[in-house]
Amino acid sequence: MANKIVQKDQIKNLLNKVAQSSQLIAPIKSDSITTFRPVSSAEAVVLDYQNGVIPPKDFFFPQSEKMFTYNINDPTWDIREVEGVPERVLFGARPCDVKSILLLDKVFDAEFRDNYYLDKRNKTTIVALSCNDCRHTCFCGAFGISPDTAEGADLLFTDLGDKYLVEVLTEKGEKLVNSAKEFFADDDGSGAGAKAKATEMAKAKQMQISLEGVKEKLDNMWEHPIWDNESLRCIGCGTCTYVCPTCHCFDIVDYNDQSAEGYRYRCWDSCQFSNFTRAAGGHQPRPSKKERIRQRFLHKLRYFVDRYGDFGCVGCGRCLEKCPVNLDIAQIITKVKEVG
Amino acid sequence: MSCNCNTREVASPLLPYIATVNKIIEETPTIKTFQVTFDEPGILENFGNKPGQCAMLSILGVGEGMISITSSPTRKGMLEFTIAKVGRLTSVIHELEVGDKMAIRGPYGNHFPFEEMKGKNCLFVAGGVGLAPLRSLIDYVLDNRDDYGRVDIVYGARCYDMLCFKYDLFDRWPKIKDTHVHVTLDREDPKWDGRVGFITLDWLQEICPSVENTVPVTCGPPIMIKLQLENFKKMGFKPEEIITTLEMNMRCGVGKCGRCNIGEKYICVDGPVFNAAQIQKLPPEY
Ligand SMILES: Cc1cc2nc3c(=O)[nH]c(=O)nc-3n(C[C@H](O)[C@H](O)[C@H](O)COP(=O)(O)OP(=O)(O)OC[C@H]3O[C@@H](n4cnc5c(N)ncnc54)[C@H](O)[C@@H]3O)c2cc1C
Ligand code: SF4
Ligand code: SF4
Ligand code: FES
Repeated sequence: MANKIVQKDQIKNLLNKVAQSSQLIAPIKSDSITTFRPVSSAEAVVLDYQNGVIPPKDFFFPQSEKMFTYNINDPTWDIREVEGVPERVLFGARPCDVKSILLLDKVFDAEFRDNYYLDKRNKTTIVALSCNDCRHTCFCGAFGISPDTAEGADLLFTDLGDKYLVEVLTEKGEKLVNSAKEFFADDDGSGAGAKAKATEMAKAKQMQISLEGVKEKLDNMWEHPIWDNESLRCIGCGTCTYVCPTCHCFDIVDYNDQSAEGYRYRCWDSCQFSNFTRAAGGHQPRPSKKERIRQRFLHKLRYFVDRYGDFGCVGCGRCLEKCPVNLDIAQIITKVKEVG
Repeated sequence: MSCNCNTREVASPLLPYIATVNKIIEETPTIKTFQVTFDEPGILENFGNKPGQCAMLSILGVGEGMISITSSPTRKGMLEFTIAKVGRLTSVIHELEVGDKMAIRGPYGNHFPFEEMKGKNCLFVAGGVGLAPLRSLIDYVLDNRDDYGRVDIVYGARCYDMLCFKYDLFDRWPKIKDTHVHVTLDREDPKWDGRVGFITLDWLQEICPSVENTVPVTCGPPIMIKLQLENFKKMGFKPEEIITTLEMNMRCGVGKCGRCNIGEKYICVDGPVFNAAQIQKLPPEY
């Protein structure tokens, strides 16, 4: 499908129409923080935001997710899986976060396909929004991602001032356009040029980091003072993993509120916590912050590449922005390139 | 008519089946073996577990834990799990009685190379509850006795009361053709007049003087595995011939929760069985 144009003064009407037939998930501002939330009307949606504090990962792999319910007094336990999600549209995801969903696919849509994830994934149309501006912590370019392309999205919107350019990338995207045809006009051919101009600043402003040779170096940096040095100031809070769009570790827990009815849920967990790998009998392969920091960086920059053929980071910059002690993956990459 | 727009297309790998405990054997004061069958017909027949695989056992309302399937698939109609009481879940499991329920999902992980081992002599070396995973392979070999050569089972425990599977070690296995059981205790014990001391290189060389056409397999606590891998190498086995298992804390068992990795390998799907050559390539984090 050829590129389309949506007038800016029509965007909220378009979103309201979308919200009538699907669940709409979009960025809203709450207590000065921009986050993705299901919204029933477009009124609260903000579209001139820099990337949100928490990625939209939550809508595919929730921070806490009920898997099934049971009754411990029932002789058969009466296990029932919880219902899936309705059809939904995720609107306004940034290119790095869209790419992170492709990385999560590699984990959840693999051997032992994870139906809780796939249900949400299959029922979600992803509408990406190019970045016209970016944060000082962004470095998506290092991973071959760009503020104005969105591999993994169904539609890509770019803010051109008074209108949006809409690139239709998949059939799912085309379906969405056809369901609200009246809002989409044909692009007269000037869209691409205007888009390049609109996203110029984001490209220029982000940190320019190259990953050349980093994986190869890390293959031989198991024992290196960098892990001791960097881990000294880490306080093991786990923030870095909780704000990360690609982190996928979870725990599985049963919950009973003093009653017979209970449920089993999974919730995000973090490799930065000491009990993450502590096993029965006291076996602890990662006894100190050194091993845990090393695990996080090697997982993103080495193990994920070996296992899935891509880096496990998209350069969104959230971990370095939110870390209370400024442990910075971008700096680590730079330091790795400098050392031996 | 019910609407099915909310139903999912794939069954969850995290959803367990219900099983009933048929038999409980008290192995040691802290270790019990549970024999179970699935309640739903057809599940057990299609379970398809191979020697060395594990399953996720749970008690609803308490939690889940990864446990090796200690019975061989040649033993039909049931699964056996040998469980040490170490914490929350395993304490509740130890309270179970015959007729009680367990929830089980699996089987998970790779398996011992029982096909490749055909025609070879087997040197099985286990410590403590490490005999549990190995027992699935031992019984597989012994139930297909003519497919394999000489079998030596070397087993060490801290004291007499800590020996698991005494009925196998002292009654069942020694009666089988060309099968030799060697048991040692870490220290003197009034109930024991056999060998005392660790499983040493000298002793292994005495039991298995030639490494020719022999496959060594070892299971046990991490410290013991490290020691036996060294012993096997000194005996002249090549790293790719030496088989063992690795253990990491696990939650999902299906390569997703990120808990059990050593380097790029997830022990739950790529393991638990590895040869020493594969282990040498992994970061030393086990
Ligand atoms: C592949 C594999 C195969 C296994 N096979 C078997 C088997 O055949 N038989 C068997 O008995 N076990 C086996 N295990 C181990 C088994 O999974 C654990 O023993 C079991 O899950 C423990 O559960 P629990 O709830 O009883 O213990 P938990 O309550 O989780 O704790 C058990 C122990 O863990 C340590 N621990 C945990 N959390 C903490 C903490 N926060 N602080 C301090 N210490 C802590 C303590 O030492 C504690 O006693 C296997 C494990 C794996 C990975
Ligand atoms: S956010 Fe920073 S301090 Fe907290 S665990 Fe991560 S690296 Fe350590
Ligand atoms: S590691 Fe940091 S920069 Fe990379 S994707 Fe995760 S939060 Fe973003
Ligand atoms: S136990 Fe979850 S990844 Fe291995």
